Amino acid sequence: MRVPALRAAILVLFLLAWEGVARTANPLLYVPPSAVLPAFGRLLALESYPDLVPSLLLTLREILVAYALAIAAGLGCGFALGLNRTIGRAYGPILAALYAVPAVVWYPSLMLFFGLDAASKIAFGFLLGFFPITLAVLAGIRQVSPHMLVVARAFGARPLVIFVKVMVPAMLFTLVGGLRTGLALSVIGVIVGEILGSRSGMGALINHAYGLFRTSDYVALVLVTLVLIVGSDALASLVERRAQRWTD
Amino acid sequence: MSDLIVVESVSKRYVTSSGPIEALHDVSLSVGAGEFCTLIGPSGCGKSTLLGMLGGLVTADTGRLLVDGRPVNGPDPGRVATVFQDAGLFPWRTALENVEFGLELQGVPRERRRAVATELLGPLGLRDFAEKYPRELSGGLRQRVAIGRALAIDTQIILMDEPFGALDEQTRLLMGEWLLDIWRRTRKTVVFVTHSLHEALALSTRVMVMTARPGRIKRVLELPMPYPRAMESAEMVALRATLWSGIRDESLRAMGER
Repeated sequence: MRVPALRAAILVLFLLAWEGVARTANPLLYVPPSAVLPAFGRLLALESYPDLVPSLLLTLREILVAYALAIAAGLGCGFALGLNRTIGRAYGPILAALYAVPAVVWYPSLMLFFGLDAASKIAFGFLLGFFPITLAVLAGIRQVSPHMLVVARAFGARPLVIFVKVMVPAMLFTLVGGLRTGLALSVIGVIVGEILGSRSGMGALINHAYGLFRTSDYVALVLVTLVLIVGSDALASLVERRAQRWTD
Repeated sequence: MSDLIVVESVSKRYVTSSGPIEALHDVSLSVGAGEFCTLIGPSGCGKSTLLGMLGGLVTADTGRLLVDGRPVNGPDPGRVATVFQDAGLFPWRTALENVEFGLELQGVPRERRRAVATELLGPLGLRDFAEKYPRELSGGLRQRVAIGRALAIDTQIILMDEPFGALDEQTRLLMGEWLLDIWRRTRKTVVFVTHSLHEALALSTRVMVMTARPGRIKRVLELPMPYPRAMESAEMVALRATLWSGIRDESLRAMGER
């Protein structure tokens, strides 16, 4: 009860402060909320950017592909490194070293390899989403108590059954946490990729508005993107909570 | 009558970073059907290793192990079930689902295994805890679930590796009485590992004392008295002294080695 009220209070306070600052400063740069609202209306009515819907769909599609690839590769690498000691010792340190590099330094080369269109955004979203998923698998495997594996073996479980009935449930919570982080980072990767250089998608629209000093349109576009991000994270946290209820 | 479990000159050596350790040296024993046979000895005497071998989880370097005339070759849930000191329950499964685990692995249909497990919960004293998760259960109840999981697959033999070792003394005494009751009802063959003289004397039909590392069978005590046993009787007190004198030297040796 008090939490939503407090949350609303900070929002109102923030908007008021923003409005006050914007009115005293240059309104072209510090566009006030009162100007964003009509811009938001024009955006949703497809007046300012008629290609909003296809752009949104393109960005969504890039995110989905990037995330699906990150899940497939992250689970594959994670389990290969975590379940096989030799592979883990050979490639684990390389993975950790690559993870330490700020991913954005790869982006120019991704654009060179994959061009300005969707492929380079997907590649960047994949790259960002891949690491947390792989690392979550590795952390999850370390969490599985060896004793439980012995118990399962004593009851006649074969390796595949042990994997499905013991390992996966034992590491599920960590795994789902990694998948959630992976989604957030894939979303960030795709959008950052679009902003750094693209011809279509939400990032391209944001770039366009910002480049032409259409600041109120720019803020409206950011708001739409924000809804996309918050929405995807809310979905992921729902899945995470279900997994948590199921595991412990 | 042939023995259900036969162990013939089994040895086991572990290689550790500080050199090889001989855990068992030339151990031979046999256990008849329906016996409650206890292995007792100082820490590190290889009794858990021996139990692991019977369960097919540890391989012997030399010698052979037969269960019901057939050599042990890996875990065999059709003949042998194991209860561990750490209950090793699966935290994402309810008590009932944990009891069902072995049946599930054997492909028993859902309704059937649920029925078997539910029927077991009564004598296990777990009827009110079927839907509870392990973290909601006390140590004693958890160990009962682990015993239920072993009983559910209805093997002839149950191996118990210090099943009450982690419990407080009072719970331990009660769990012992309860286990005796279960054993006398099901007439299973039990091989039991413990540190407790009281447990060994109150529960077993036979006690085998093991030496300090490398483990060997030092002496065997037959206990034909009926249950429940009056542990304060002159006979039991004398037996306790005999048993302790056999173990004491070995425990001293085991302590000295550290």
